[in-house]
Amino acid sequence: MGKDERHYNINNLNILFACASLILLSALGWLFVKDYSRPWKKHQQDFRALEVEQTRVKLDSSSSALASNPEYQALQEELTKAREAYNAQCRQNEALQKEIKSLQAHDDSLQQQYRFTKSEFDAARYRLEIAKEHPGAAAYLVKAQKEYADVESKLHKLLVDTQSSADTLKAKNDVNAQCGAQLAELERKERELARQKNFLSRKLENIDPGEMTFVNQMANLIRDLPIIDLANPNNKIKQVVLKDIREDVNFLEVPKVDRCITCHLGIDNPDYANMPQPFRTHPNLELYLGKESTHPLEEFGCTVCHGGRGRGTDFTTAAHTPSSEEQAQEWEKKYRWQEMRLWEEPMLPLAQTEAGCFKCHAGQSTIKGADKLNLGLELIEKAGCYGCHFIEKYKDWPQPGPDLTKIAAKVSKEWAYQWIENPKAFRPDTRMPSFYHLSNNSDPESMIRGEQEIHAIVHYLFQHSEEFPMEKIPSTGDAHRGQDIVESVGCFACHQVGSNPQEGKTTADSLRREHGPNLIGLGRKTTKEWIYHWVKNPPRYHPATRMPNLRLTDQEAADVVEYLASQQTPEFDQQAIPALDPQVVDRITLEFLKKSLSNKAAGEKLAAMTLDEKLLFSGEKLIGSYGCYGCHTIAGFEEMKKPGTELTEEGSKALHNLDFGFVHIDHTKPAWFAQKLHDPRSFDKDKVKIWEEKLKMPNFYFSEQEIDAMTTALLGFVEAKGIQDKIVPRTPENLYIEEGQKIIRQLNCQSCHMIEGEGGTIQESVKQWLIKHDGKSADEAAAIVLSFSPPNLVGEGKKVQPQWLFDFLHQPTTIRPWLKVRMPTYTFNADHLNSLLQYFNALDKEPFPFTDNVDVNLTQEEYLAAEKLFSDEYFDCAKCHIVGDKMPGGSPENWAPNFALAKTRLKPGWILEWMKNPAALLPGTKMPTYFDPENYHESGPPDILNGDEDTQIRVLRNYLNTIAPLTTSQETKKNPEVKEAPETLVAPAVSK
Amino acid sequence: MAESIKHFINFAANPKVLFPCLLILTLFMFPGNDKLLAINKRLGLYKLWTKKGGIFLFSFMLLFFIFGLTDPNFRLIVTKPDNVPIVALLFLVNFFLWLSMKQAWENDARIAKGQPPQEAEDAKEKILVWPDLVYIEFIALILCSALLLAWACALPAPLEEPANPSVSPNPSKAPWYFLGLQEMLVYFDPWLAGVVFPTIIMLGFMCIPFLDNNKKGCGYYTFNERKMAISIFMFLWLVLWIFLMTTGTFLRGPNWNFFGPFEYWDIHKLEALTNINLSEYIYMILLKQPVPENILLREIWGFLALGLYFGLTPILLALTFLKNVFKQLGVLRYSIFTFLLLCALSLPIKMFLRWAFNIKYIVAIPEFFFNI
Repeated sequence: MGKDERHYNINNLNILFACASLILLSALGWLFVKDYSRPWKKHQQDFRALEVEQTRVKLDSSSSALASNPEYQALQEELTKAREAYNAQCRQNEALQKEIKSLQAHDDSLQQQYRFTKSEFDAARYRLEIAKEHPGAAAYLVKAQKEYADVESKLHKLLVDTQSSADTLKAKNDVNAQCGAQLAELERKERELARQKNFLSRKLENIDPGEMTFVNQMANLIRDLPIIDLANPNNKIKQVVLKDIREDVNFLEVPKVDRCITCHLGIDNPDYANMPQPFRTHPNLELYLGKESTHPLEEFGCTVCHGGRGRGTDFTTAAHTPSSEEQAQEWEKKYRWQEMRLWEEPMLPLAQTEAGCFKCHAGQSTIKGADKLNLGLELIEKAGCYGCHFIEKYKDWPQPGPDLTKIAAKVSKEWAYQWIENPKAFRPDTRMPSFYHLSNNSDPESMIRGEQEIHAIVHYLFQHSEEFPMEKIPSTGDAHRGQDIVESVGCFACHQVGSNPQEGKTTADSLRREHGPNLIGLGRKTTKEWIYHWVKNPPRYHPATRMPNLRLTDQEAADVVEYLASQQTPEFDQQAIPALDPQVVDRITLEFLKKSLSNKAAGEKLAAMTLDEKLLFSGEKLIGSYGCYGCHTIAGFEEMKKPGTELTEEGSKALHNLDFGFVHIDHTKPAWFAQKLHDPRSFDKDKVKIWEEKLKMPNFYFSEQEIDAMTTALLGFVEAKGIQDKIVPRTPENLYIEEGQKIIRQLNCQSCHMIEGEGGTIQESVKQWLIKHDGKSADEAAAIVLSFSPPNLVGEGKKVQPQWLFDFLHQPTTIRPWLKVRMPTYTFNADHLNSLLQYFNALDKEPFPFTDNVDVNLTQEEYLAAEKLFSDEYFDCAKCHIVGDKMPGGSPENWAPNFALAKTRLKPGWILEWMKNPAALLPGTKMPTYFDPENYHESGPPDILNGDEDTQIRVLRNYLNTIAPLTTSQETKKNPEVKEAPETLVAPAVSK
Repeated sequence: MAESIKHFINFAANPKVLFPCLLILTLFMFPGNDKLLAINKRLGLYKLWTKKGGIFLFSFMLLFFIFGLTDPNFRLIVTKPDNVPIVALLFLVNFFLWLSMKQAWENDARIAKGQPPQEAEDAKEKILVWPDLVYIEFIALILCSALLLAWACALPAPLEEPANPSVSPNPSKAPWYFLGLQEMLVYFDPWLAGVVFPTIIMLGFMCIPFLDNNKKGCGYYTFNERKMAISIFMFLWLVLWIFLMTTGTFLRGPNWNFFGPFEYWDIHKLEALTNINLSEYIYMILLKQPVPENILLREIWGFLALGLYFGLTPILLALTFLKNVFKQLGVLRYSIFTFLLLCALSLPIKMFLRWAFNIKYIVAIPEFFFNI
């Protein structure tokens, strides 16, 4: 092979080969770098630097604190002295030390010999046993016996030697230890004092390369190198595995794994509260993540509440969700963030994080700490979303709107027309939504059609209206007196009269105040007769109403009617009602007819119908299309399905199932929900649709704040998948509580009473009353308002006897006659009553339905003692409390309930506790504390019953239980008093 | 101006326009017989296979891409990491097509002058397997590996988030090499497009050595000596494979709707798609009478059409255009050849029927899941 036969220059090829190899090498290097460098590693390195810094700062402060601690300083001095003494006395004894050392060596070798021999002994014993088992080989047995005996004696000798050696060693050691005992004790004390500092410096040695030993420094360097890092690297993925939260990975369920803490390294450490993300501490460690909290990190992880992809270890794959479009852009730049389109549960946006609470706490009415979510849920209740949309949580709630089956008795056709056309024009704060003048029906053609639609709807409603016989009002009322009654008996717990003074933020309080309709313009809306019959007995007109009966007398009712009927809305009257247009009605009717008939048949049918029939027919169809029956009871629609989409799992809905149409908003669920609530019909924008296809959801005109809260709630309505073990436990107590909370929410009990620490909204109007009628100044009124407001129901289950509560809720009786506000009579059925009883008892963890026996046993001596205690000599109980028929002196704000009620009303155990320390049971109570809780055993009067406080309280309780207990006959006699009481109640108002 | 160009390209890229154009272009660019060759020469189409033609071709493609990249929609589709290889494929296919055709036409010119082809000259040179060939192959291997590694690092494989059965991607696309088959699914039932046709393609490959007995063109590029073979191959390769793949990659968007290269992929785009079967077309539209109940009677026209297509066409062709081929191959091989050819032609025919007459199936027997 000659050189000239070569086609290529071999040197050039060599160079090419070298270059190619280098290129390959660098490509390989790139591959390694790319595979090795993960974003979370950088975070972990940064966090470590931060941790070192933090630890150093803490170590410094801890050292300086220690140095300035006088105890420690004294200890140090002592320690120096002790060391010197030790050196002087014990160190010199070198001969002893040497001896101990050699003894120790000897002992060790003996120990080892013993272990060897022991194992030989065991083996020999085994051989002996085997030889005995096989009697044939006698020679073998002899040999085994001999061997066993030899080893045994050897072992025995060794045992003796070891023991004596150990004894000698111990004796010598004791001498030595005695010498250093004081020093050892002092050193232990020093360690105790400097524990924090030592802990920190040990930690620093582990994490700070500067503090490490050389070997550790080398290990620290090598640990994180590629490939070697498989062993035990510094930087590694950290995770929480949650065995009882399951994740569906298609055809298989696996435990949830959250790796968020790989980057969020300081999340459960309070030291990082002000650090930048991703290291910042969780803002609420008391409730979440902390070991003592109700949601510890190890049991709940992160994504079960926040959403997102727990297994993701970079910014995008963790399915982070930006709060706004700007943030999204910022993230795209900073972290190359992209949306995880296929991940069903992306992280909840920061503003809507509370939505995550709902899936486990769905049964509760109020979720403590989730204010926005609570507000959203309350708004859903108040707006009555569940009327049209099925929502599991609200499946058995009463219809949100009034019964329309007797509408003709209540309002005029004209009023009904104007109301449907624009409810806000009549009552600006109404929860009745608008169906007309919306974004998809404001074109001229739709407007004309809309007018005739309303005519048809009104026609249908009035044609189907039942008879509602109303007698004449027995007496003429006085509007002025009526106003006083409305302002005092408790109407303002749920209603307002006149334009809404409350502006701006919607709160739980404001929603409670607006529980019932604003009574503005009532005189324009309905007749005096109707108002009279309504306030006298609400369920007669609307059987399912939540309006209770305030037990007004005929005269009171007449006064109230006079006052309410004087409410007028002049602007509203001026609106003209367009005339009925038969042509448009024809068009509407024909459209509906065509749905079930052929064009020709529909035309024929239409021709055969009278205008009345047409209106009736299209009215029915229209009510069906708009879903009026979702909120109102309407004749002919009793069995209809809810008109709207089910919302139970709306938050889990895939984004592509939401039609964004041509509305340019963020393509996210919260943005869609917000837009839908803001303008429900807006997704029809630019769409070419016939009437039937158009969106029908009405506009509630929610404020931005309300929309935000409701969006949060909607995002929380998700499929509860894999979290069964985390839902609030379904114990009977919890179920009772949830059931009770539901009733309380429905009936707006918290507007009058404080329940579970929330409510008492009515106090504001009570205060106004005190200022207006009792001439109190604002400060005075604020000071005494609690005395004139309905009671705080904290500890009610503990306090009252179930039977009494049952009777009271069923038929309220007067407990605090000085109150103007009345406990109304509700139309409870036995289920409701039992639920409420169970609720109050479950709340206080009281056994239900068991009660203690009422103890009235008193010896002669005890009775006298009790009488003394009761008298003005000691506690002067009758100064504030009503005793039977006897009213106390002084002003009513200091009055307290009747002792006559104690026996039947109060639980005996509670009375004891109450007298012991009333403030502990009801913070802020007027009841004086007679027994100092700080110094209980010396607080009672020493001259009574040998100064035994427990006995004093017991006899007093038993004594109270004997006070004029109302007999049944007395009760019936007293019952009218309940009705009479209100008259005395308004008397001062009349005189004014 | 730019907008109207984009509009025009969007319009022209629609398969209804582009596919027939490409079909005709292929017919003339790679003329299968002397008559077509004469037209080709008269139009000067062969000039594309020269250096100047190559420069023109690639400048045109480059210009198109540069112009296209100014458009956000175009950029989005073309720069997607999994579409980058298809862009490369477009350039590579054209380059090698041009290179081989250029050499073929040059050789044809030499042969016409009575000279041996260029490859005969090259064959006089000698390369040693060891070390020259093995060495450069090894270097090429290293460079290719480096390229693949660098590519993998620079444009990471688009492994997306874990699949979610309730949210499937729209459009759901097969791997690029199956997109031709997926495109066929638009026009044929799955059992045909997914099972029968791939099988016929395999069998067809096996048949090639037996059907093509032209011994010319061995070891050198030539067009003139293998006109018909090249013409048929280009139809199968360029039109039925590369074109369908490119369409599937770049021009099929959500809901498998067609989108021009400069069009926004609107998920809500609607196209009128009401198709009818041949039987309905004949009975209801032409004969104005109800479709018969009896399946056989109903589908008789479809079967007849298929029978004529596969039975009569070969005979007609044997008597006319393919007289010589029939003589060369004999009855059996000629039958196989025409069957394969007709199968291949059935796709453009079906497309044409769909676009022109909204024909869904020639034979439609949903009762037995048998639709053609």
